[in-house]
Amino acid sequence: MRKILSPRVRGYRQDFLKIAQVYPVPYLTGGSESSCVVFNLDTMEAPPVTMMPVTGGTINMMEYLLQGSVLDHSLESLIHRLRGLCDNMEPETFLDHEMVFLLKGQQASPFVLRARRSMDRAGAPWHLRYLGQPEMGDKNRHALVRNCVDIATSENLTDFLMEMGFRMDHEFVAKGHLFRKGIMKIMVYKIFRILVPGNTDSTEALSLSYLVELSVVAPAGQDVVSDDMKNFAEQLKPLVHLEKIDPKRLM
Amino acid sequence: MGVTCVSQMPVAEGKSVQQTVELLTRKLEMLGAEKQGTFCVDCETYHTAASTLGSQGQTGKLMYVMHNSEYPLSCFALFENGPCLIADTNFDVLMVKLKGFFQSAKASKIETRGTRYQYCDFLVKVGTVTMGPSARGISVEVEYGPCVVASDCWSLLLEFLQSFLGSHTPGAPAVFGNRHDAVYGPADTMVQYMELFNKIRKQQQAAAFME
Repeated sequence: MRKILSPRVRGYRQDFLKIAQVYPVPYLTGGSESSCVVFNLDTMEAPPVTMMPVTGGTINMMEYLLQGSVLDHSLESLIHRLRGLCDNMEPETFLDHEMVFLLKGQQASPFVLRARRSMDRAGAPWHLRYLGQPEMGDKNRHALVRNCVDIATSENLTDFLMEMGFRMDHEFVAKGHLFRKGIMKIMVYKIFRILVPGNTDSTEALSLSYLVELSVVAPAGQDVVSDDMKNFAEQLKPLVHLEKIDPKRLM
Repeated sequence: MGVTCVSQMPVAEGKSVQQTVELLTRKLEMLGAEKQGTFCVDCETYHTAASTLGSQGQTGKLMYVMHNSEYPLSCFALFENGPCLIADTNFDVLMVKLKGFFQSAKASKIETRGTRYQYCDFLVKVGTVTMGPSARGISVEVEYGPCVVASDCWSLLLEFLQSFLGSHTPGAPAVFGNRHDAVYGPADTMVQYMELFNKIRKQQQAAAFME
């Protein structure tokens, strides 16, 4: 029986293509990455033995981000335009539950990890994400750039994080639509507050608008990515204005 | 993966680790097993840094991060008597980021490397356990591929183990213990390896203490 890892994109799970160790260099060729990984489970062949540990030499992945929002009544026109501009695929919706965990130490700022699970796709792995501080560099850079580490995990993630010493800070449900264009991922979603901790059935919308996020996860140093994001964002005006929003300024 | 039993083979009297491994592998080859590549299982130990302990009022816990060449794209993280997380290899990158909170215990990396043998539905891996440059023991892992429920095939596994381990055959692993009818998974194998590595580490400490 052969197992095929689907290249479908769902929420942050586009980054699961990293499981196939395919870094988004296809950006440079402009093509979309429709690579599939096929694991041959028929024979008991020995898998390759890695000689070197993974610690220092991995590529640092950065997330480039632009955000904006639209009011509920403008959603349809935005979706319509996105459907036209983005890669041709079946309209994809997602319903995710995200929990944010903090580990407090002696350092002033706690370590933040985000654990996300799909509520509408059974069997999908949980997604653990670390996001670093935004890089304060070039003022001309159009997008927010921060270090990002994405990890697919088994379902006992929350128990494991608690055992490590993390405590849940807050949680929410995100429901919306997902589009992609090349390596750019566009999410249009609504955030729901969870009324009873742990119970994802009783939720209430946080606002009368949808959050729009344009993001790319690429190896560090590819700043040309943010130019392409800006060009794409131009095409969405005046329906939505996507801009670089520094989270620190909101605190 | 099928039901697996991981055990330690004591070094034969008057022989070195390498010679004992050779004796074992020769026995397997005489049985008719085919060599099929190599394997490697390694384990690093982390403990919670002193700075995070104060706020929680608990003693530091040991976290083991293990890799198994049978699952090259996965990383296993476990606590003793606690949950075992199966994650992809980016988990190692995350541990680097968590350096301030989890410190690697010095000289704690322990690994076992050796050859894989296939004999019909059994997969046998005989490895030399090393800590740093020196060999500390021998690990033997036997997997019976077709079955995933421990209670259904333990007797068969035992018989096979006896055929080449003889008097050194182990008893039923502790992971089988309570959940006889549960589906066996890779996490259970990693727990067995962690217990084996801890046993070998203690033997090493006791031996060093005696000297």
